[in-house]
Amino acid sequence: MESNYATPEEYGLPDLLCCAASREVKDNEIVFAGTGLPMVAIMLAQKTHAPNLKLIFEAGTLDGRPPQIPTSVGDARCEMGASRSSGLNDAFSVAQRGYVDLGFLGGAEVDEYGNVNTTCIGNYLDPELRLTGSGGNPDINSFARRTVFIMVHEKRRFTDQVSYITSPGWRVKKWPEGSFVHRKELYGSAYRGGPSAVISTAGVFRFDDETGRIYLDTCHRGNSPEQIREMCQFDLDISRVSGETLPPTREELHFIHSVLDPEQIFIPKVKHKG
Amino acid sequence: MTGKRITLQQAAEIIKDGSSLTFSGFTIWRRPFALVFELIRQGRKGLHLIEVNGGPQTEFLVGAGCVDIWESCWVGHELYGKYGANLSRKVGNKEIIVEDYSHAEMLFRFAAAASGAPYAATQTSLGTDLHNPEYDMLGRAGLRDGKRIPKHKYIFTEDPFYGAGEQVLVPAAKVDVAVMCVQQVGEEGTVRVNGQFYSDPEVARAADITIVMAEEIVPEEYLRRESDRNTIASFEVDYILECPFGAHPTGMFGRYDVDGAFLKDFYGRTRTQEGFDDFAKEWIHGQDHHSYLEKLGWPRMLNLKANTALNYSTGVKRGQ
Repeated sequence: MESNYATPEEYGLPDLLCCAASREVKDNEIVFAGTGLPMVAIMLAQKTHAPNLKLIFEAGTLDGRPPQIPTSVGDARCEMGASRSSGLNDAFSVAQRGYVDLGFLGGAEVDEYGNVNTTCIGNYLDPELRLTGSGGNPDINSFARRTVFIMVHEKRRFTDQVSYITSPGWRVKKWPEGSFVHRKELYGSAYRGGPSAVISTAGVFRFDDETGRIYLDTCHRGNSPEQIREMCQFDLDISRVSGETLPPTREELHFIHSVLDPEQIFIPKVKHKG
Repeated sequence: MTGKRITLQQAAEIIKDGSSLTFSGFTIWRRPFALVFELIRQGRKGLHLIEVNGGPQTEFLVGAGCVDIWESCWVGHELYGKYGANLSRKVGNKEIIVEDYSHAEMLFRFAAAASGAPYAATQTSLGTDLHNPEYDMLGRAGLRDGKRIPKHKYIFTEDPFYGAGEQVLVPAAKVDVAVMCVQQVGEEGTVRVNGQFYSDPEVARAADITIVMAEEIVPEEYLRRESDRNTIASFEVDYILECPFGAHPTGMFGRYDVDGAFLKDFYGRTRTQEGFDDFAKEWIHGQDHHSYLEKLGWPRMLNLKANTALNYSTGVKRGQ
């Protein structure tokens, strides 16, 4: 088995992130797919260890099996092979109804309780930079049992305090006063779960079941726990590190580059050095 | 014949300065671009865009200075531009009011309006700054008159029926005009959308005036032979017009793909107002829809043309 793992020359960081994300998917789950690398990751899971997973595209495709990878969830490539193609009302109603097990999301900033910002950098009322806005990020994160965030790792992004809570983590604001409470307290009977992992370009992070605080689980090759702690503004818990993030297998790399994304839309092929 | 047919110029004239406006489609798919360009040519001002989600159409209208208020959840160009640089610039300069909701909230707001309900109840986005009372931007601007703009951004309430805890009430999205961009419309207004219909049924029904811009106007009788395949009923549509390739640079299921190179170019060149003005001078001002298509040229459009068996283009270069 061990020999089936690719050697460091055979894969790049996007391959590693894609495979780490894919391994978060369990068989038979209903997964809400965003655009980009997560879509490749989910379809990779479908080709390998989770053949019975069901894909939902936010723009309105239920149980999709696209023969060619869509570049966005509104893409004409979403429909073919799907159980039903319709609209957003179906996608969000199904999610609020509680069908969704897992969602993959992104973000510009994350704090130690998994609150994520995709709205603005700086004061909302006078921002340094306005970003895309929420999209479906808070919706999927509110409705799904688990969410996994895929993010670029920079110290300014792993922050003490996000500029704006776009998507709810484990300790969130109770309005109108804005005091922090545990997610369970606020969501009541609508509570189903929350962020379960962050896959950054440096490592894989998880959240403590009780406190909801983030901790480092695995380091990507070439990063030490101490280095990763240095790359966070908050005091990262590195006491529970389980090892190095598992590399892609050759089978996974084959699916990514020969079957799922041969056009290299989301995942570039690593260039072999002579 | 019912006389619903109008021209592109007439369609743009229905949308007045200060109108609230919404569109068909999803991010970079099926946006009524020919009409967006015509609004820019006609110099429309003070628009209030209320969109389930934004996209290139938002960026063009905002960049051209047509928009005073944008109420939505997301703007960008997907793979072809990671955020809305024009909106971002105008937010920074305080030249536009942005009211943020979540995507599901926006959808539920249109669904409520489409069924004549004053609001929807949901459990999404609890604990986020979307619900921060300090960030009620229309309220801060003193615009919540309770007529077209709701008295409150949100109301929190406990579920009175099943004790399911805290609920967010979001107001129905009341809009003056919806402009739809679809594959087919009948002479009496029946719409058939192919592929995902996104939030088109809710949007068309919510608006006071619904204008449908179609790739082709077809005989009503043809659409009524298989009425179960139709998306929007005839009487929900007030005006129709035929405008082939009217969604370009966005894509249309079964007809043509997104013109990613065009969007990339737009995103790259319109970070500054000067850049936007230059782009508009090149592609919008002094043009009409036919001269725009002529400028794009046959080879470009043929490359985007969808394969009729697959419903997407097999010629378009998508990756690196």
